[in-house]
Amino acid sequence: MKSLGKYISKYLASFAGLVLILLFINCLAFAWTFYGVVTKDYGGFSPQNMLEAAAESASLEGISDEISGQLKTNHIWAVYLDMEGDRVWDVDAPDEIPEHFTVQDVAVFAKGYLAGYPVFIRNTDDGMLVLGYPQDSYMKLPSNYYSLRSIKTFPFFVMRILAADLAILFLAYYYSKRKILKNAEPIITSIVTLGNGRPASLSMHGELSGIADSVNKASAILSRQNQARANWISGVSHDIRTPLSMIMGYAERIAHENSADSHIRREAEIIRQQSVKIRELVQDLNLVSSLEYEMQPIHKIPVSLAGLLRSYTAELLNTGLPGKYSINIGITPAAETVLFDCDARLISRAVGNLVQNSISHNPDGCDIALALDCTDESISLSVSDNGIGLSTEKLKELNEKPHYMESTDDRLDLRHGLGLILVRQITDAHSGTMKIESEYQKGCKAILNFPIDGGN
Amino acid sequence: MDNTFLQNKKLLLVDDEPKLLEMVTAILSDEGFGNIVTAVSVKEGISAVQNEKPDLAILDVMLPDGDGFSLMQQIRTFSDMPVIFLTAKDEAADRLSGLGLGADDYIAKPFLPQELLFRIYAVLRRCYKEDTPFINLDGCTIDFGRAEVHKAGKTIPLTAKEHIFLETLARSEGRIVTVDTLCEALWGDNPFGYENSLNAHVRRIREKIEADPSNPVSLITVKGLGYKLNTRK
Repeated sequence: MKSLGKYISKYLASFAGLVLILLFINCLAFAWTFYGVVTKDYGGFSPQNMLEAAAESASLEGISDEISGQLKTNHIWAVYLDMEGDRVWDVDAPDEIPEHFTVQDVAVFAKGYLAGYPVFIRNTDDGMLVLGYPQDSYMKLPSNYYSLRSIKTFPFFVMRILAADLAILFLAYYYSKRKILKNAEPIITSIVTLGNGRPASLSMHGELSGIADSVNKASAILSRQNQARANWISGVSHDIRTPLSMIMGYAERIAHENSADSHIRREAEIIRQQSVKIRELVQDLNLVSSLEYEMQPIHKIPVSLAGLLRSYTAELLNTGLPGKYSINIGITPAAETVLFDCDARLISRAVGNLVQNSISHNPDGCDIALALDCTDESISLSVSDNGIGLSTEKLKELNEKPHYMESTDDRLDLRHGLGLILVRQITDAHSGTMKIESEYQKGCKAILNFPIDGGN
Repeated sequence: MDNTFLQNKKLLLVDDEPKLLEMVTAILSDEGFGNIVTAVSVKEGISAVQNEKPDLAILDVMLPDGDGFSLMQQIRTFSDMPVIFLTAKDEAADRLSGLGLGADDYIAKPFLPQELLFRIYAVLRRCYKEDTPFINLDGCTIDFGRAEVHKAGKTIPLTAKEHIFLETLARSEGRIVTVDTLCEALWGDNPFGYENSLNAHVRRIREKIEADPSNPVSLITVKGLGYKLNTRK
């Protein structure tokens, strides 16, 4: 969300910058286009210059040939009036220009046009010089007067307009940004959710409803795929169960069949043990997939973890733990009475997987210890053994590398099994953390930490 | 413990896989169960319950003409017989709906024969406890029907709590029963802070059932976990 805000600021700011640059370019283009006209208008033959030059050489007697030539080449006509308003001489004056002008005539044409020609006048000592330019050359504004007050307030006015414009621009920027963020927020949130592989649902109206539709569609596809995958795994694991029951059942029968050869019984026992491993795998696979795709609701109820550990351990001993292994539980007095909101089957499964790890990694036997402790904020449950432990590289790999279930890299070692990934998932589902500590040849310890609210 | 009276119970197995029925029948026969009826569908199951009047039904959930849950509901309309589900469905939801219907146990396939037998015995013992008033321990006999211990020609009465305690252990004879399970059986749902009372009961029970209470051979303490009751056949 924060990055989106920055992104929008950046783009709106660059938009404002573009507006300024455009204004500047407009000024340049204006100057470029009108430079020629301006230099021409205000060049040697502009009314200003011509009047200057002509007035200097004009008198009651006439005008110099040089000026007269310039006027002619530029299609400018000239008349010279005396004090009485009579025309004294002229240069190329058109026919419609009268010989005599009254005071009213002068007052009228002095500000504007004479017979359609824009005219410019200059008083000299003896009379008045009138220059007439071609009809399509200049436009005159006969009423160009402004009050002094308005001229004086003009700079302040411009400043205020500029300030107001800037303020309006900023407000527009501010509200656009807020509105975009507000509209984009649910979109971003649901895209982030989708990115994490979870289904998202988005409801929007107006122009953005199309985006919402697409997000919902992507989410539906994702859920459908997840559902299909979870169903597939659950279907396969379901179909394996009945045949596996028969393998396990008959293997155990043969293993206990007194009339059978001892080596046949031993081999049947191996089949039985390996079948039990397949059973663990099938159960783990199903749980991992249903937790991963959130197919299975977690039933959390207050559970005494101390009781749970005892009942797990009793069950393990009741089903027969080989003599080379021993298991002990240590529960602190504080942890004895604490109730933890959890799914007892899942927690029991996590503990079971950690214990099974200790057993299967130490075929020569080891001592396993379960420990439960708690503070006001958290419960710590650990499973440790004094077996062969993990090498530093193996431990690092376990903590850093993704499990093969979570990776598409087919070079990963596939011998990890599903035990630890399930423990991690169960821990996550209870907002806990898992840490594995180990020292080579000295044993291994897995610590699960769960937050509790309000202590016991 | 003498399980003959339990092995005389008639068991009904319902599963749509004949080979599995064959195997479970073999396992049960090996164990000594002589009275086994099988069915492969809801319809057959219902008529078997009506005609054979079994003492325990072991039902699969997925059946060709319906599911085990509805079969159980139909059985419940005319019989209170104990029911165990034995099924390939291992979702928490299935387990909850099975137990929610009042099933006595829910076993997920695949299972080991020993596990199945233990669960069947536990359910039968719980549901037909009045059939087995006696259990034999090393040096004494407990008569649950009369709440008495017969030791060396003497008759010693059991208190109500002692009776519950021994019955809970006897149901899982030879197996560890946790202090949590025992406290719950004795004092109900929130069994905290009863350790001392439990120890006191254990001391008194040992005086009643053990030849040498300071060296118990029947009621064994499993450190940190609970107790177990060793019986004699």
